[in-house]
Amino acid sequence: MKRSKDRNRLLRIISLCVAIERKGGNPFEVGVKEALETLRKYLPHWKVLEDFALDAETLNRISSIVSLQGNWIKHRSSTLFVDPLLIELKVKMLEPEKLLQIFRRTWRPVIEMDRLSNKRVLEAIDYWNRLQPIEDRLMKLPEPSGVLELTSIEELIKARIINEESFTALLQKFWLELKEKANGEERIHYWDFIYAPSYEETVIRAYLTSFLVTYGFATMEIEPLEEETFLVPYMELRELSLKEQMISFPISIDYDIWKEMAERQ
Amino acid sequence: MAENTGAYVRKVKRAAKIIFYRRHRQPGVKGWELRRALGKEYVKIVDLLNQHLSSIGLQVRTVYEGSEQPQNPTSEQLDGARFYMAVKEPLTASDLVLSGWRVDDVAALVVAVSYIISKQGKAARKDIEQILREKFPKWRVERNLNRYIRQGYLNEVEDVLYLDWRARAEIDQKTLIKLVIGGDTSKSSDQTTTTP
Repeated sequence: MKRSKDRNRLLRIISLCVAIERKGGNPFEVGVKEALETLRKYLPHWKVLEDFALDAETLNRISSIVSLQGNWIKHRSSTLFVDPLLIELKVKMLEPEKLLQIFRRTWRPVIEMDRLSNKRVLEAIDYWNRLQPIEDRLMKLPEPSGVLELTSIEELIKARIINEESFTALLQKFWLELKEKANGEERIHYWDFIYAPSYEETVIRAYLTSFLVTYGFATMEIEPLEEETFLVPYMELRELSLKEQMISFPISIDYDIWKEMAERQ
Repeated sequence: MAENTGAYVRKVKRAAKIIFYRRHRQPGVKGWELRRALGKEYVKIVDLLNQHLSSIGLQVRTVYEGSEQPQNPTSEQLDGARFYMAVKEPLTASDLVLSGWRVDDVAALVVAVSYIISKQGKAARKDIEQILREKFPKWRVERNLNRYIRQGYLNEVEDVLYLDWRARAEIDQKTLIKLVIGGDTSKSSDQTTTTP
């Protein structure tokens, strides 16, 4: 019974800390000294793992509050400090027109430009001209043959998408090739890397390259103005960060571009 | 000498293109992107670009990560900072009318932003709603807050509102607070530096 009461006390400290952290209240509302004394008093009586975990969680929350107290003092001494209550009272008294004047004097709108290059417009026109009406396209879709299932490794091997080496080993090999081809340069032109003597092989190389980028072996740099795409190999495999926004970037493996390159070769 | 000048001119033009044109979800570019495109001396290039822009009332604004605006930024802080193209001087009343903002929308934004600043950069959404609902109907308050979030002025995480990239890039926070509490309004300070 006594232990349960002690646990509840720690849970109350945690919830107070969490509330202050989340809502930005005054961190000095938490009695850090008393909370630490409580922890010290309870610690010798804990026996089970869950209680020790609760103790550690409480300590962690208290340390966050101490950090917030530091920031609070820093903010109060900064020029941006003003009592929230005063702001609340002031904004309630100000008329919308006065607030508009304030905004006008403090607002420096960001300027940006969206653009379409001539090349992109021509590509778009070409795409539109080639695109068949949606009804025709829907009619041409093949009937589903039985139950849908995932493509097996054997099928991928048969389709020459991958060979019998493990896919990871294949990617590693491909990564080395990219690093070698970049030859100390920071980046290599996308088409220079994926180009192969046959169009089919070029498509396979483009397919594998997409995995290099997705799995953190390399990254892509797109120069929108020049409409050029480059591959930048990483020297070390990079962990994928969930914080960074991942984007998909479609690249057309255009047969005409390949043919043009083949002729130049 | 002439070669050097030519190289600088080319780099200034390139810097203008990179900063002006939207490449990402947000406008502007990170310092490390400028370094990669313009070389180590990118800060000097941005400075030169600013001199050109000044004559047409524009400037490159540098917004550092976090709420602190360092006096002497390190190269790491510059790499992580975002560089935007922005208007240099305060807008005139007619400019603001042209921007399409309604007076009540602006008023609600000023209230929300100044309250969040006073609460150290974050405040419970319901507290802000409560203040706004003294003057605006509930539906308008909700619509406005959602709109500011969509536009990048505010960010909401678990019912707590923060200042988002746009408020930090576009609003001179120090001047805003001064004007709201009725301090010296004759000059506006620059919360973000024009050049690092």
